This record gives sequence, structure tokens and C-alpha cells, in this order.
Amino acid sequence: MSITYRTGLSALAVFALAAPAMAGNTLIPPGLRVAVAKSAMTVVPSIEWNKLGARPGRNSESWTQDGDDLNDLTFYGGIEAGRPLFREVDKKNQPLPKVSATMLITDIPVLLENSYRVALGAASFKVDLVEPLPFAGNKGVRFTYSFSKQNETLQRRGEARGAVIAGKLYLITYEAPGLYYYDRSAAAFRAVAESVRL
Amino acid sequence: MRTHVAALLLGATVFASGAAGMATGAGDTGRLALPTYSQAYTPTTVDERGVWMEADEDERRLRESPSVIRDPALNAYVRGVLCRTVGDDRCRSVRIYIERVPAFNASMAPNGTMIVWSGLLLRVRNEAELGAILGHEFGHFELRHSVLGFRNRRSGTDLMAWASILIRNSGDIQYAAIGQIYAFDRAQEREADMIGFRYLARSCYPGSAAADVWDHIMGESDATALGRRGRAQHKYVAGFFASHPTELARATYLRAASLGIAEAKSVVVDTHQAAMAAWLPIFLNDQIKLNDFGGSEYILANLAAGSGWTTPLLYARGELYRERGNPRDLVSAAQFYQEAIGRGDAPVEAYRGLGLALLRNQQAAEGQAALATYLRLKPAAPDAALIATLVSQ
Repeated sequence: MSITYRTGLSALAVFALAAPAMAGNTLIPPGLRVAVAKSAMTVVPSIEWNKLGARPGRNSESWTQDGDDLNDLTFYGGIEAGRPLFREVDKKNQPLPKVSATMLITDIPVLLENSYRVALGAASFKVDLVEPLPFAGNKGVRFTYSFSKQNETLQRRGEARGAVIAGKLYLITYEAPGLYYYDRSAAAFRAVAESVRL
Repeated sequence: MRTHVAALLLGATVFASGAAGMATGAGDTGRLALPTYSQAYTPTTVDERGVWMEADEDERRLRESPSVIRDPALNAYVRGVLCRTVGDDRCRSVRIYIERVPAFNASMAPNGTMIVWSGLLLRVRNEAELGAILGHEFGHFELRHSVLGFRNRRSGTDLMAWASILIRNSGDIQYAAIGQIYAFDRAQEREADMIGFRYLARSCYPGSAAADVWDHIMGESDATALGRRGRAQHKYVAGFFASHPTELARATYLRAASLGIAEAKSVVVDTHQAAMAAWLPIFLNDQIKLNDFGGSEYILANLAAGSGWTTPLLYARGELYRERGNPRDLVSAAQFYQEAIGRGDAPVEAYRGLGLALLRNQQAAEGQAALATYLRLKPAAPDAALIATLVSQ
């Protein structure tokens, strides 16, 4: 997921910090099992992906084909209780909802939805379909959603799979503009998501 | 950057403030007089034409935006309140766009585009409070604040640029110029507040509504701060870079103004709740998902003070408590859902919320029973398969 920073100043500050990291983008070859998001989670991609040097948060990482605004595959690898899904831009005035160890499986889509509503101003966020689907051999959830960021007309679609395992949240999300890009890489995302192991 | 320029040129928003006290002597219609209004005003100077051109461009984009709520009934209601506040002749040319943004704001562009955020509609409790805000925004438009503010910023920054070239150690001059730019913005906001008050005082609505709005906004920001373990504080004097007077200052001078006029108005039938009925659950849902427990709880209590704890308010309160999810919250949430269900007109999702709250509170049997009821009443729910796994655990 990519966050559009609201103020010019913070965007500058973030850019200054993120610029060296962005130079660290790496190519993920297909067919090999790789560990993701600084966690025990491993996946096997079916095609090449670019791993972005900039991470959305501490235990997460993003892959893309054409740039993270066009197709964004993000792994959240075991977010602990009391932590937000991704980095908070304004901890004091816009705190993000936190992971809770007692979360039910139905709370996973809600956590993602509420985080996006706060961080992206995505008031149009809508969870479309929610269904049970095992995640790395555990009881998990698969859901699809759609949203557009505040002040943007571009409609984005997303699909996510996740589970709470031993009190930690594991989640894989795929997002892209509904026009053209979503369908183009959806199969590649599903190949990655189905190969997940812990 | 487009958005910056647009933001600068948009009529200063609700949070801004204004100038010289337009006095409001008791019953003195002369002092409540409004400037002469001319229909179909067209911009005259090169500055004003430029400001209008940008506003026209923004409006074209806004008109296509997916975030605009196009419900004819809701739009007609907001227009009706604006017309009753500022008068039919003034409101006729205004284009109102209601945007689904869950925050308290409204704005007006120099070409007569008025933007109202859904968060504003959620927070006001009656027509008069909505009229107070819309009147303030219309005041910016009628007083041509956008072009005046643009000129002020331009001359301020010109002065700073020349001072930095021509004068050694020009720091003090630049500091003063920046202060002047913001002080001018605040003066405009205060001016718009006072002309908004005069619209209100001349309308069918009570003049005290303007101050009521700011009292509630202060109450909400206190509740938000306390909910986040912050400190609630309100200052009377605005900061150096503040574009608006403080909420406390606005509440104070608007209250003083409303006490200064003798009002003997017959009570109008307020249609706010009826007009909002279809949208209230949606706007409440947008609000409670913002991770602002204190502020959301304040809004709910404030609405309940006007209408009593209605079913949509109870259901939203259940959702709010369940999402925070402390053990005590789960108990409260279950009670709110049960109360909503007891009224007989609760949405089916109340059973879902009740079941999940009980389940999370380790009351498995009761929780599963409630979820089973949800599935029985709404077998085609988008999350039916997932909820079914919780029932059969």
C-alpha cells in the first residue's frame, strides 16, 4: 500500500529519508521460495516481481510490477498486538487502529478498512466479499474490497488474505486500479498468496 | 501544485475567521443590514478573472467526482436551509456539492461553488446550526474574500521578496509580513462569521445557533483529546500561523452577538432529522471507523440529546464500543445492540454485532445464537460464509 502524505513538509521529510532506501529495490526471481516481511512467512512467486526498498511498516514489505500505485502486493508478517498495520503518519492526531490479540477473524477486514479510512481519507472504502479460506494451514479469511483515496477519482480494487496466528496478524494484500491493472496481475498475486507458508 | 493554489483561492474554510465587529444592536435592523446584492456578478479585474477561472476549473472536476452525494432529497434539503438563511434571491445562483468526507467543514469558491462535507451534516443538530455554517460560507462569497485574500498574499510575499533584496537584515520585516498575511485571513473569517450571523438573525432561525455549533465543536475536540489521553485545551488568542480565529473566540463573539439582539421568532418546524434519516446510518458508519472513540461518542451523545437514543444511534454506539474492544466495551456494546434490537426496527446487522461482541467476550453460546439469527435473517449476506464458520466452531 502506498500512502500519499498530506502536507508538503512531511512529504519532503519522508522523501529525504526514503530516497536512499528506494535505491535498494530488488528483483525477485520466479520459482524460488523467498522469506518476506522480515518474518517466517515464505512465498513462491510465479513471475518476476520488484521488491521495493521502502517498507510500509516494520514487519512488512511491498512488491510491484509497474510501480506501487499501479499494482501493489504487500506482505504484513506477524504484526504484534498493540501495533498498527503500517507506519503512522500522525500518531497524535490521526492514530491508526491497533492489532489486538483477541481479534476475531471478522476483525481483519475491519482493521484494514479503518486503517485506510484514517490514513488515506478513503471514505468510499467498501468490503465487497468476505469468505473463509485457509492461510498457511491456519483458519484464515479472504476478502475483496474497493476504494478511492480522498481527492482522487481513480477507483482501486483490492484482494487480501490473512489470519491471526498465535496473536499476530499475517496478511497479504493486492491492490491496483480497477481499470486494466487489477486484472492483469491478479493471477500473479493469487499464485503468491496460495504458496504462502509459515 | 494545483491543490495548494486551489486551497489558497477557495473561500476561506469554516475554520477561518474575521474582522471588525459588525455590531448587532438590540432589534436594530439597520445594524443587521446586509450589503446590496447583485445577481449574476461577473469578475471585473484581471486578478478576479484569474481566481474565477481556477474556481470554474475546480468545479468542472468536482462535478464528476465520485465522492459527491447526488441524492436529490438531501441536496434539496441543504439548498432549502441555505435559501431560508440567506434569502431566495441570494441562494439561487449557488451550486451546492455535498461531498462524502467524514470531517467538519464546508467551503465556498469565488464563482459560487459551495462544498459541504458529510461530516458537517452529521454534526449539526438542526436546520439553524446548518444555516449558521452555510451563511458563514456564503458570506465569504458575498464579500469576495477569495480575491482579496489572494491580493493580500501576493502583496505580502512581494514585500518579503523586495525586502530580502533591498534591505540588509530584513528578518523583522519578513516576519511582520507573514504575520500580516495570516492576520488578514483571520480577519476575513471573523468578518464572514459576523455577516453569517446577520443572515441568521434576519432569517427564521435563532441567532444563537452559530455559537452553539462552536460550543459543540469544542466539546468534540475535548472528547477526542481525552479519548486519546491527550490534554483538552482551548485558547482565546489565535496562533501566529492560524488561518482562523480559535473556536473559543468564535463561540464567544457569536454568543455575545446573539445576546445583543432581541429575538421574537416563532419556532419553525425543524426537518433536519427527517432529511437526514436515510443518510444518518451511513454518515455514522463513516465516523465511527475513524478510530476516534472520544469524538465519536461525543457526536452520538450530542445527537441523542436532540433526538433521544434512536435505533441508528444505538446500533452505531454498539459498533463503536465493539471496535474499541476492551472487555468492558464488549459488555456495553452487547447492551446497545440488544436495546436496538428490542425496539424492533434495528438493522439485521445488529444481530451480527451482538454475536461478535459476545463471542469476543467469551460468551460463546449466546454469541453463536445471535450470529445464527443473523444468518437466518440474511442468508445472502456478503460475509455469510465467514460468519457460518464462527457459528459452527
